[in-house]
Amino acid sequence: MSEDAFPLRAIWMSGAAGDDDLRTAVERVLDKDRAQRSRERRLRGAGAAAMVALVPVLIWAAAFGVSPLVRVAYALMAVGCVAGVVAEWLYLAWSRRALPGPDDTRSQLQRTAFMLDAQVWLTRTAALWSSPVFVGVLLICVWLYRERTLAGALTIGTLTLAAWIGIGAGAVRTTAELTRRRRRLDEALADLHA
Amino acid sequence: MDYLSQKRMDHGHAERFVQLMAEFERPMRRLCAVYADRAMDRDDLFQEIFLAVWRALPAFRGEASARTWLYRIAHNVALTWQARQRRRDTQEGPLSDHAGPETHIDVRRLELKRTIARMPPGDRTLVLLWLEGLSAAEIEDVTGIKAPTVAVRLSRIRKALQPNEVTP
Repeated sequence: MSEDAFPLRAIWMSGAAGDDDLRTAVERVLDKDRAQRSRERRLRGAGAAAMVALVPVLIWAAAFGVSPLVRVAYALMAVGCVAGVVAEWLYLAWSRRALPGPDDTRSQLQRTAFMLDAQVWLTRTAALWSSPVFVGVLLICVWLYRERTLAGALTIGTLTLAAWIGIGAGAVRTTAELTRRRRRLDEALADLHA
Repeated sequence: MDYLSQKRMDHGHAERFVQLMAEFERPMRRLCAVYADRAMDRDDLFQEIFLAVWRALPAFRGEASARTWLYRIAHNVALTWQARQRRRDTQEGPLSDHAGPETHIDVRRLELKRTIARMPPGDRTLVLLWLEGLSAAEIEDVTGIKAPTVAVRLSRIRKALQPNEVTP
């Protein structure tokens, strides 16, 4: 490190005073921490509530449904519901593990990239692992069509397909965003070790 | 202070955090100024860095120096934060969102900032650590790049930062 560094360092060090006083800055960081933790708690809570409230009812319906078709439909919905909650928990856990920490930059970028890959896999397969729920509802529509009304079956069927397509489209968007982020991390990693 | 009385933090943890923030606020603001042009983004990145510090602090046992530990977190956060951004806004960072360079040194500093912001991420990380006064060994500790490689790369980068390139 040559002596000509020091004018540059002096220039560099001359800048960037913060607008906030220390207390405000600390409180803003802690507020952000609280907000993020509370959001994560809410998401986990919603998953747990679905597991506790919905799955037992679906299992009961799968055991005592009015016909084999209905029983299969509810069984599929129970499986899909569990898969959805597990996927959400995995996604949250991997997001947390991808957060930057005190590792050296190379290890950190590699770990974050690995976690992003896992998340990409999860979002890319979202339409697949959520399919039991939708297939289950569509089977209920078939039963409705046979035993009750065509209009009811069509309405519920259309809404179900729309929701399925919506989930697929959302997953495609999220996958694209995660892939873009992964690519930029790769670029940074490659450049860091060029 | 109310944040010192939160249930989940022990008092020492909170005090250490406030200390670190007081000590490293300015270096972190300088880092944020390179990664983000808009004041809002700079604040966001600054908060993200100290949020990561806050969360990592309970596991910090002092094996590394607090300075290299904090710079590791800061650069990791900055690089991942930038990967999340849709715009590559540091490529052509305007000088105009500052109050206005009033002295010669302000102009030099803003030009230096802009030159660094245009660098690829690896060079940017190295030069920022070097400008903050870290040795090659400390930079190795932060980045995982071997000290001799750091020295060679910094020598090349310094040429790009010669005064004739920095002066407007």
